[in-house]
Amino acid sequence: MSGEALVKILDGNTFVVSDSRGDIEASLTDPTGLFAFDTRFLSKWVLTVNGERLNSLSTDDLNYFESRFFLVPGTGTVYVDSKLSVIRRRAVGNGFHEELTILNHDEKPADLTVRIEADSDFADLFEVKDALKKKGRYSTRVDDGRLVLGYVRGTFNRATDISSTAPAKVDEGGLTFAVRIEPHGQWTTDLDVVTAVLGSGETHERPKFAHAHGRLNMEANLERWLRDAPTLECDWESLHTTYQRSLVDLAALRFSPPIAGGRSLPAAGLPWFMTMFGRDSIFTSLQALPFTPSLAATTLHALGEWQGTRVDDFRDEDPGRILHEMRYGELPAFEERPHSPYYGSADATPLYVVLLDEYERWTGDRKLVRELEYEARAALKWIDEYADLMGNGYISYQRRNEETGLENQCWKDSWDSISYRDGRLAGFPRATCELQGYAYDAKTRGARLAREVWKDEQLAVDLERQAAELKRRFNRDFWIAEDEYFALALDADGKQVDSLTSNIGHLLWSGIVDKSKAKAVARHLLGPRLFSGWGVRTLAEGEGRYNPIGYHVGTVWPFDTSFIAWGLRRYGFDEEAAQLAAGILAAADFFDGRLPEAFGGYERSLTRYPVQYPTACSPQAWSTGAPLLLLRTMLGLEPAGEHLVVDPALPVGIGHVALLDIPGRWGRVDAFGRGRVDVAKKQQLRPQLEAAAGPGRPRR
Amino acid sequence: MADRTAEFFDRLAGRHEPLLGNAKGTVRIELESGGKTERWLLALDNGDVTVSHRNTAADCTLRTDKASFDKIATGKMNATAAVLRGNVTVEGDWELMVLLQRVFPGPPGQRGPGRGSWNGQGET
Repeated sequence: MSGEALVKILDGNTFVVSDSRGDIEASLTDPTGLFAFDTRFLSKWVLTVNGERLNSLSTDDLNYFESRFFLVPGTGTVYVDSKLSVIRRRAVGNGFHEELTILNHDEKPADLTVRIEADSDFADLFEVKDALKKKGRYSTRVDDGRLVLGYVRGTFNRATDISSTAPAKVDEGGLTFAVRIEPHGQWTTDLDVVTAVLGSGETHERPKFAHAHGRLNMEANLERWLRDAPTLECDWESLHTTYQRSLVDLAALRFSPPIAGGRSLPAAGLPWFMTMFGRDSIFTSLQALPFTPSLAATTLHALGEWQGTRVDDFRDEDPGRILHEMRYGELPAFEERPHSPYYGSADATPLYVVLLDEYERWTGDRKLVRELEYEARAALKWIDEYADLMGNGYISYQRRNEETGLENQCWKDSWDSISYRDGRLAGFPRATCELQGYAYDAKTRGARLAREVWKDEQLAVDLERQAAELKRRFNRDFWIAEDEYFALALDADGKQVDSLTSNIGHLLWSGIVDKSKAKAVARHLLGPRLFSGWGVRTLAEGEGRYNPIGYHVGTVWPFDTSFIAWGLRRYGFDEEAAQLAAGILAAADFFDGRLPEAFGGYERSLTRYPVQYPTACSPQAWSTGAPLLLLRTMLGLEPAGEHLVVDPALPVGIGHVALLDIPGRWGRVDAFGRGRVDVAKKQQLRPQLEAAAGPGRPRR
Repeated sequence: MADRTAEFFDRLAGRHEPLLGNAKGTVRIELESGGKTERWLLALDNGDVTVSHRNTAADCTLRTDKASFDKIATGKMNATAAVLRGNVTVEGDWELMVLLQRVFPGPPGQRGPGRGSWNGQGET
């Protein structure tokens, strides 16, 4: 890739990653290409004019499904003096459509050989990540002026169909155009690259390019999406940018699972995670609930339909378990990977019930809660009957698929995330603390749904009793008295895994923490070992495995901090919540409003800017959702019966904030607030944030 | 030899299946075997299932060979993976397929989560 910026456009689960010239030259381990259904349909797409590669002058991302490349021939010297301009305009649909235009600025005619080299390795996304070898057979054929690339393995059949509007000489390596352009004239061709997924016995008719919803429709759809979301008015320009960026990225990350009836839910992230994930889709739906409640409805529906119903060791599936990840590529198809779907997640199932309840509290949509009664009950049952591996009343996890299953089935899913203070890793099964919080919350919320919607008083009483009992035991077994925080986990022997981690913040969000212990927890979260000045470190400074750029052992995850801020407000720590919000939103400013998955845990006063984690995925759904949840948290938005309570606690520098037309069971209401919480005393704010304080400047 | 497919549909017929509580519509299943096609029609009505061999258009049609479906009906083949690799094709309303796959049994001889039984086996 010669270090060039990657350009990404997408529609649903189809996306294109190219260099800034619009070219694709993928190797097995390189993530460029045209991808659909977790398969790479183009690994090579290189444009030359008279045998020469082109140079990029500029690239416009017109929107998330369309981009434009302005190019000139030449080798990339400092000064370009070309008589030709080349414009590629590309849009994603079921493949992509490219409008290629060449302008001749000369007074003489230009005779050109324009060539597109094309090829596909049909790699499964997993192969791109892990560099594996193919088992099927490739084919290339020239058919009626188009180039058809194919891959077959048994009944598994994928094809890429390439055609142009201008006449081309097509060979097995690409398309060649012999072009004459008059002085000051231009030449154009449209190129269609169509992905085809064929089942056994189907005939392959010439496929047509189509935007999933038509280009105009897609534009209208995006406009409607933005119009339906609440309007943010604020003094702080950067917050406004971040908010808009979040809404657009969330629209881009909407994913209609090929097996889910055309509705969309948030996929986890681009480029590796454009698929349905239990945990990510639920967390993002929770963050976005006050803004775009339809995402939650689809997430609940789709995850409910795919809920586990049987015991399957390869997929780590149990009855009632909510899936971890669904994939559509070759390796899951041949069961070389378990993602059809894979169920190895210990948190998605209780979180499913949490989302169902939170969704009802906001929207009043009891119809969906009744429709999903069976699924919600099965999820609650899973907690007690399948997740208690140690028989001690706590959710714990240990994979049954030891070859390709996930070791860590909590959100910190890298291999070294669950360690003791001295750096030793805990044995399996592992009962991480936040899982118990989610279970408590699921039972408490399940009780409310049972009583108010399903009219099952007995279930409500049982769940409340279980929740109270769980809370009592948890505050005894996980509490490290001498240091006043909750252990990261209990190990296989029931002993405390004693590292100080951000997980304790999730406990506040779930409500499992005894009131008497909350203050100490909050003090740790905002203390020097966990709080970097931007957000909460995943693992505290000073722990054995602490590394400020370790994926789950020291970096700051905006999503993580956003839920912690919510938890702090739940326990009345308004100032602390405002401080976390101010830190993450200030960090967002450095990324033009698009928060990465994670950034370094370095002390803010040391680096002055947030250091992006090297391979962080971006945009990533729950990072995109973080500013939304922080807005909710700062404004103190909380449904209470048929009303929305607004109880702002905004950091001083933020000035005036108004969120207008918040949708919910109350119709639409507005929320207003002004920064009064002085976080600057505790932590240096960015100059912009300080300067933003002042008289309100309404934007609308 | 017992007909695994027929046994599976026999068990499904006439019972109320809560896993299909949100399913409403018809699913036609065509099974190829030795040049002949065996046809099944499922009418799903919010958990009530009627099974017949009626030859009529349906909201969703699944096609595969009899040997494969026998395996699916006994948990020896995973239906979703079979769809992904084109072994089973789906036409029409995919959501009905998603709901129907819920009632296929899991693979035989599974270890399962085994409550409390793994103590001390953890790696470090």
